[in-house]
Amino acid sequence: MWAERPGLLGWLTTTDHKRIGLLYFWTTLAFFGAGGVEALLLRAQLARANNDVLGPDTYDQLFSMHGLTMIFWFIIPMTTGAFGNYLIPLMIGARDMAFPKLNALSFWLFLGSGLLVYTGLFLGSGPNAGWFDYVPLASRLYDPGRNIEFYALGLLFNGISSTITAANFIVTILRLRAPGMSFNRIPLFCFAFLAASFGLLFALPSLSVDLIFLFLDRNLGMHFFDPSHGGSTLLWQHLFWFFGHPEVYILIVPAFGIATEIIPAFTQRKMIAFPLVAIAELLVVFIGFGVWAHHMFADGIPAVTLVFFAGATAMVVIPSTIQVFAWSSTLFTGRPRFNTPLLFIIGFILFFVIGGLTGVMFVAIPFTQQVTDTYFVVAHFHYIIFGAAVFPIFAGMYYWFPKVTGRMYFERPGQISFWIIFLGTNLLFFPMHIVGLLGMPRRVYTYPGEMGWTAYNLAESVGGAITLVGILLLFGNLVVSYRRGPLAPPDPWHGPTLEWSIPSPPPEYNFAVIPHVSSAYPNWDLADREADRRRLAEGVGMLDHGHEQVVSTLADGEPVEIVRMPHSSPWPILLALAVSGAFAVLVTEKYGVAAVFGVLALFALVGWHWQEEES
Amino acid sequence: MTTADFAVARRSPSKAWWGMAMFVASESALFAMMIGSYFLLRFKNLHWPPHGIPEPKVVVPLVLLGVIVATSAPMHLAVAAGRAGQLGRARAFLLLALVVQSGYFAMQVHEYADDLSRFQPSEHAYASIYYTLLGADHAHVALGLLFDVWLLTKLIGGFTAYRLKALSAIAFYWYAVNVITLAVTLTILSPAL
Repeated sequence: MWAERPGLLGWLTTTDHKRIGLLYFWTTLAFFGAGGVEALLLRAQLARANNDVLGPDTYDQLFSMHGLTMIFWFIIPMTTGAFGNYLIPLMIGARDMAFPKLNALSFWLFLGSGLLVYTGLFLGSGPNAGWFDYVPLASRLYDPGRNIEFYALGLLFNGISSTITAANFIVTILRLRAPGMSFNRIPLFCFAFLAASFGLLFALPSLSVDLIFLFLDRNLGMHFFDPSHGGSTLLWQHLFWFFGHPEVYILIVPAFGIATEIIPAFTQRKMIAFPLVAIAELLVVFIGFGVWAHHMFADGIPAVTLVFFAGATAMVVIPSTIQVFAWSSTLFTGRPRFNTPLLFIIGFILFFVIGGLTGVMFVAIPFTQQVTDTYFVVAHFHYIIFGAAVFPIFAGMYYWFPKVTGRMYFERPGQISFWIIFLGTNLLFFPMHIVGLLGMPRRVYTYPGEMGWTAYNLAESVGGAITLVGILLLFGNLVVSYRRGPLAPPDPWHGPTLEWSIPSPPPEYNFAVIPHVSSAYPNWDLADREADRRRLAEGVGMLDHGHEQVVSTLADGEPVEIVRMPHSSPWPILLALAVSGAFAVLVTEKYGVAAVFGVLALFALVGWHWQEEES
Repeated sequence: MTTADFAVARRSPSKAWWGMAMFVASESALFAMMIGSYFLLRFKNLHWPPHGIPEPKVVVPLVLLGVIVATSAPMHLAVAAGRAGQLGRARAFLLLALVVQSGYFAMQVHEYADDLSRFQPSEHAYASIYYTLLGADHAHVALGLLFDVWLLTKLIGGFTAYRLKALSAIAFYWYAVNVITLAVTLTILSPAL
């Protein structure tokens, strides 16, 4: 039907969702490596009391960059950029995303933003006030270098990319579903990404406003966060956490989505309480917008406010528990095959329950005030972010490996990698609860020997090393399998969704014939798939006049029109280059040069829209 | 398969409309957070505006607000003319809207410069949020002007399906900017009302 352009130029100008997904995958893996090295350096420094592997300034930059990297340049782009891009069109029976050129743009902007902050780090001016970057510590008075400019502009830049991705997912899922895929037949994976995308779309502006204020305060002498001139330091925190708490759920909801794909595949059973799980995925993000001040319990804000936010936070338990019971009861009532992906998902459920229980403890306001800024908090959010968000990413890497590469991974080393990572992460993060309760503050670069924290810290560092071994085994397995693994059939797991109905790896056009769908588990509707094959043999419903795509109605998934999609375009990468140039010179306060890059970006936009799309 | 194969010919909003809806959603959230910040700062301060900074002008901004909101009418008429295939009318209404919007923008830039001659954004948090909020709103008007000019240039070559969709999407953008301008103006004027 059509083929992607080969060679480097083909990759630079591609608008194919699978290629962009792979670009995201490799780039985010590189950032994962960087964030991991930072974490190991931090653990090396903390392994002994009074250690001097890292100085305080380097330590500040490394822990700030570790948090920022793992959140903004690994987990979000890995789930949305890589998994979402590659899989959502396949699951809804589409041939691409709704805005293929914007999709390419979001990748190149993402890459540019990552290079920008890492340039800062390599120049010795990386962000150094933590990922939540509280003022006044981050104000010009106390942080006079360019470190915070790299933070503010890097995140603002990254936010543009994430907003574009989120908008693209929403429109894709609402508009490009295969005929028959009404709203109640959308796979739970896609519901999860829909929830995360709405979260990003409405949460990121709050961060953007905050970052703009910070930049103006630091560089144009404004006073948003300066109490001596009518400003408020709490304004930073309110705006940050109004974004930051939904962000936590944006990190984890796609992981829920991965779990709801893998559990049915390895139990050969449909998810229990499908509509409740779909609603719970959306509700988690929705409630997430009303809980931000629970990050500010130690700020001295009025007690009545604290109680409201404690109550709202307790509400998050309801949709979370619905999902935990839905996953576990599906597992118990099915016939589970304990392959590597399912092992990682079971690990995820355990971590989510433990991290969730410590999360519920934070609802008790006095308890939070006691443990704020201690390692107890670090333990809690690493159980959630590593255990509950990254474990499903690992599960997904194994689960979709045969689909993406056309080869099977090796099962036994896969299972061993799970056990090593599972034990390593528990040894790494569990003692943090204890040292936190013993009073060890987070973000200190060293500690005295007589505090009784040394043995726990050493155990954590050893746990970190074990986790590293497990992760290396995981990627080693995937690399060797990619070269020498046995060839994968189209559907090795008897999977429930449409990506398993097409060859592995998928052809450029995904679906030779547009599938017709009559349930949320279309690959298990054998008669439907047989009908697709019959239509393919008869040449009916092919849409084989180039890059064509069916558009369907919002609620019922009835086909209404056929649109022609762009094939490849040089404009996304050119526009991203202009925008990257603008952000890079803004760091150095060269506003005139930034304006020149802005004009270049406008020219790129005119070029982008020169060729009119036909319908 | 052709479009005729579809039994149901229901209307579905165009991709351009969806894209613009996403953009407007994101920008509305941006302004909501800025307006929220305005009131958070306001309630932290006893005097708003602080001593030494004049109260915001009322009459001129309200008149200008009325003018920009009124441009929704020619935008709407341009879309209606486009749907009816009346190229000349669509271009005329779009041009009318552009002229009025440009006048509005020029007046606002003049007012902004006039304010800057009286007090600086670095004087107080009031001035910081005042100039930032107004500046963000004016920047969105400027973007709309660029959209208009781009579309008028395209329409020299007549209608295509693509340009018609662009016309409705740009009109949608302007309705949103007009509502945002309403919210921003009332926020900025609130100390004097």
